[in-house]
Amino acid sequence: MSKEMDVTVTVNGEVFQRTIEPRLLLSDFIRHELNLSGTHVGCEQGVCGACTILFDGLPTRSCLMFAVQADGHEIRTVEDLGTMEDLHPLQEAFQEAHALQCGFCTPGFLMSILPVLEGTTDLSEEDVQRAMEGNLCRCTGYQHIEDAVRLAAEKMSSGSES
Amino acid sequence: MAKLIGKRITRNEDPRLLTGQALFVDDVELPGMLHAAFLRSEYAHAKLKGVDVSAALERPGVIAAFTAEDMGDAWSPGPPLVIPPPTIEDVEFYTRTQVPLVKDKIRHAGEPLAIVIAESRYIAEDALDDIVVDLEPLDVVADIERALDPDSPLVHDDLESNLAAHLVQEKGDYAAAREQADKVIRRRIVIERGIAGAMENRGIVASWDNKQQQLTVWDTTQSPIPIRNGLASMFGLSEHQVRVIAPFVGGGFGPKIMMFYPEEVLLTWSTLRMGKPIKWIEDRRENFYATTQERGQVHDVELALTNDGRILGLSDDFLHDTGAYDPYGLTIPLNTQCHALGPYDIPSYSSDLKVIFTNMTLTTPVRGAGRPQGVFVIERMLDIAAKELGIDRAEIRKRNYLPKDVFPYDNLIIDQAFSSFVIDSGDYLPAMEKALEMIEYEKFTQEEQPKLREEGRRVGIGVVSFIETTGVGPYEGARVTIESSGKVSTATGVGTQGQGHFTVFAQIVAEQLGVDVRDVHLVTGDTAQFHWGTGTFASRGAVVAANAVNAAASIVRGKVLELASELLETPEEELELEDGVVRVADIPTKSMSLGELAQRANPLRGAVEPGTEPGLEATAYFGPKYGATAFGTHAMIVEVDLETMMVEIKRYIVVEDCGTVLNPLIVDGQLHGGVALGIGNSFYEKLVFDENGQLLNASFADYLIPTAAEIPRIEIAHQVTPSPLNPLGSKGVGEAGAIPVPALFAQAVENALGVDGLEILESPLSPQRLFELLHGEETEA
Amino acid sequence: MKIEGEHVFNGSREDVWAMVRDPEVLATMLPGTTNLNQLSENEYEGAINLRVGPISGGFSGRIVVEDEVPPEHCKLVAEGEGRPGFFKGSGTVDLIEVDAGTLMKYEGEIQIGGKLASIGQRLIDMTSKTMIRQGMKVLDAALEERKANVMD
Repeated sequence: MSKEMDVTVTVNGEVFQRTIEPRLLLSDFIRHELNLSGTHVGCEQGVCGACTILFDGLPTRSCLMFAVQADGHEIRTVEDLGTMEDLHPLQEAFQEAHALQCGFCTPGFLMSILPVLEGTTDLSEEDVQRAMEGNLCRCTGYQHIEDAVRLAAEKMSSGSES
Repeated sequence: MAKLIGKRITRNEDPRLLTGQALFVDDVELPGMLHAAFLRSEYAHAKLKGVDVSAALERPGVIAAFTAEDMGDAWSPGPPLVIPPPTIEDVEFYTRTQVPLVKDKIRHAGEPLAIVIAESRYIAEDALDDIVVDLEPLDVVADIERALDPDSPLVHDDLESNLAAHLVQEKGDYAAAREQADKVIRRRIVIERGIAGAMENRGIVASWDNKQQQLTVWDTTQSPIPIRNGLASMFGLSEHQVRVIAPFVGGGFGPKIMMFYPEEVLLTWSTLRMGKPIKWIEDRRENFYATTQERGQVHDVELALTNDGRILGLSDDFLHDTGAYDPYGLTIPLNTQCHALGPYDIPSYSSDLKVIFTNMTLTTPVRGAGRPQGVFVIERMLDIAAKELGIDRAEIRKRNYLPKDVFPYDNLIIDQAFSSFVIDSGDYLPAMEKALEMIEYEKFTQEEQPKLREEGRRVGIGVVSFIETTGVGPYEGARVTIESSGKVSTATGVGTQGQGHFTVFAQIVAEQLGVDVRDVHLVTGDTAQFHWGTGTFASRGAVVAANAVNAAASIVRGKVLELASELLETPEEELELEDGVVRVADIPTKSMSLGELAQRANPLRGAVEPGTEPGLEATAYFGPKYGATAFGTHAMIVEVDLETMMVEIKRYIVVEDCGTVLNPLIVDGQLHGGVALGIGNSFYEKLVFDENGQLLNASFADYLIPTAAEIPRIEIAHQVTPSPLNPLGSKGVGEAGAIPVPALFAQAVENALGVDGLEILESPLSPQRLFELLHGEETEA
Repeated sequence: MKIEGEHVFNGSREDVWAMVRDPEVLATMLPGTTNLNQLSENEYEGAINLRVGPISGGFSGRIVVEDEVPPEHCKLVAEGEGRPGFFKGSGTVDLIEVDAGTLMKYEGEIQIGGKLASIGQRLIDMTSKTMIRQGMKVLDAALEERKANVMD
């Protein structure tokens, strides 16, 4: 049987130490070890993007990584963006544009789009498309998500936080 | 009273979903919870001789492993979910339902052979490899036409053939119509399977608490109430001991309404036996086999018309693939039969349906539920007729529309709800005109297209019309309660998978009671909170459940006015409900908050008048006489790249009439999502099976769900023809986006390719297939 | 899935034939083979560990040699199953004398099912070609060694 390993991971600014199996997927670690269930698993094959988190700032499929690979690294999940009372402008934009229906793919979209907007809010049409193309959604047909990205860019460029 | 119905109100449920605080089934964590995995058949058809789990039981961390033998008397094929309509004469129907675990014979790849329960999902899956299966592969029934050959292998050995059902529906006299016709067109149309592809796979957590004698089941189901009643009955429990919760569900689209999936039975049976909570979460590969699918049909169609394009009759002989079992009755093909009539006046119709068993995953409704196939058939035939008669495609449709003064219109055939297919209301011509106007039809066909064609560009346009039966019964219910805080709680039985029920139903209540939408708290999909109803399917939430909510809210409004009238000593007519208070119209200071009223209506001491009901609460039910029929016209312009055979959608127009629109923001979202799924169905998605019933593309890498790059921006126009069947005047819209797309795609692409004699009579298409059609070659699957 | 191809061996037909019917040589031919036993004149059984992209695992299988016309022609019928799935197939092998030695032509049809078929599709073709190429290299080397031994 695989022996266990110690990992130290910083998630949403907090340091966690755990002893785990090497084969434990990062997505399962986040969801079940750390009880951060906002990150969702849609395919475990790296295609749908629902499990996207930020790994040292880069959008990454957590279903394609082992938790032990995160040892010593920093992870951000959707729980880091905002709270129900205090939504991040990107989350606000999603609500205003009706960019989510069942909400299952949404955290993956948020974490894929966030680094783009944190980089620049001056997005061309191609930039917006590219920010969205790595995630699958079966409910919305993507149009409102596109609207939300533009709306979020507006909100974040004007510097308003609420 | 503020008008909230019809407003673009953002959703109540979003903050929870956006911040990762929404509970989906896989988020349920219970102390001592175990994890299940299923061993599934790799073979599509085989005799099962034995399943030996002894090695699996030896593995550390494995708590139990069960086969069909272990279930003893508890093993039985599931009850059928939908029976064939008793209202159609001479229906031949053979009920064969799915089993919890395979006992003697495997009938489709993915059928479960054993369940392993372990400390973790990882260990449970390891243990699956330990199980030794002894089986004898049999020849596979993988093609619905060859399934009826006399020497075909039999999916069910106790039947004489693979015929699952046969029925004929007729009206008028097709033979006579054919005689009189100036033009008779005959074609063969083939439509193939696809999946629903919800982003969340299925999942169940079943927990039997022996001390409390309570069974709690979290299930990604679209119909928690029937599941609860069924499980109670199956396992000899009182319905009150069983609580089924459908929490947030990541997309339903149809396959999540089934009774029972083997996993629902096994998880429940296992937890009752073991007294521990058990979780099973489907993985994506399993989903391709173990969750139901839809769309496989072969049609031999004939259309008889006059020279000026008037339809005299339609005849359709078709085969419908039900997979290995038929628990869902005739719902899908009945929808096909009805929707092949379209919004058209078809005096004579003959439809001969044969349902076929195959060694494939079960077929149950997927968004559209047989309607897309019916629409594909009639729209393609009309297009061919238009070409052969030299009539414009939009024109031929206009000539055949049912006029707006014939409603309610009885089509004289039986529909999936067992009653005569009556269209409650409709106004088809303006929807077509609007679509033509929006897409600038004349300008495109007469100026732009010829010009671009000359430059060698293959651009094309398509316009199709369709109807959609929605809002079917039998009924739904709702309970509305004003709480002492002044907030309002509402409970209903339908589950929610993203349709915005938490907001739409809240809007209705808020409008009736004069409160803020955000102050209406909705509970849905929890049988402990509401236990009468059937579920979310057939585009009925906005019709049936919404009207029940409206009725209950309206009764509560009456109670509020009655009590307030008494306490404020003012006649009811002079009172108004707004901003959470009841006040006298001209004297705003004379008011009482709803919260206060609620408290007064529920005294802790003192006496009440005999016959008084406590509180400000009401439960009401709504069941329509029959389903309301929505309709619309879609149009699109495409360009085909001859080198890659990729199709680019330049413009996509939706003109939709779903009666009263409760929340335009949400309806738009439903249409966008429906069209996107339809585009997937038309061009990118196809389940590829080989002759052994083996699925060759069981992953998103090879089964292509469209990304944002493939879906165009959709322009929507709403028409409103209210339904006379319910007080809100609403019709359903959940499936409308998806239904006409394959027909539209075929028409537009055929038009773009513009090759004489090249007819598209199949769905789905693909770049490969377009190449074959264009170059007249046949390549291997 | 169709498998076909050809390879020129530096040796006589008799030598090539003898090698192809030698279980010890065959056991080393396909990478991942853990054992190959000859059950009778024409029947072999064996086990092989395969990796096709994300799918890996052991298969156990049987091969029967039919229609033998040494040293020219034979037909191979094979079937097997394992955790990654199952397979069934048959093919023919023809040996033709050419100036450079012996031309081996092989052609067959194999049906694959299970996990391997449903996820490994795009890689099966490539993987099978790679395996055959490696196998041919092994046979070339075995042939050279055989000739060297004979010469000694």
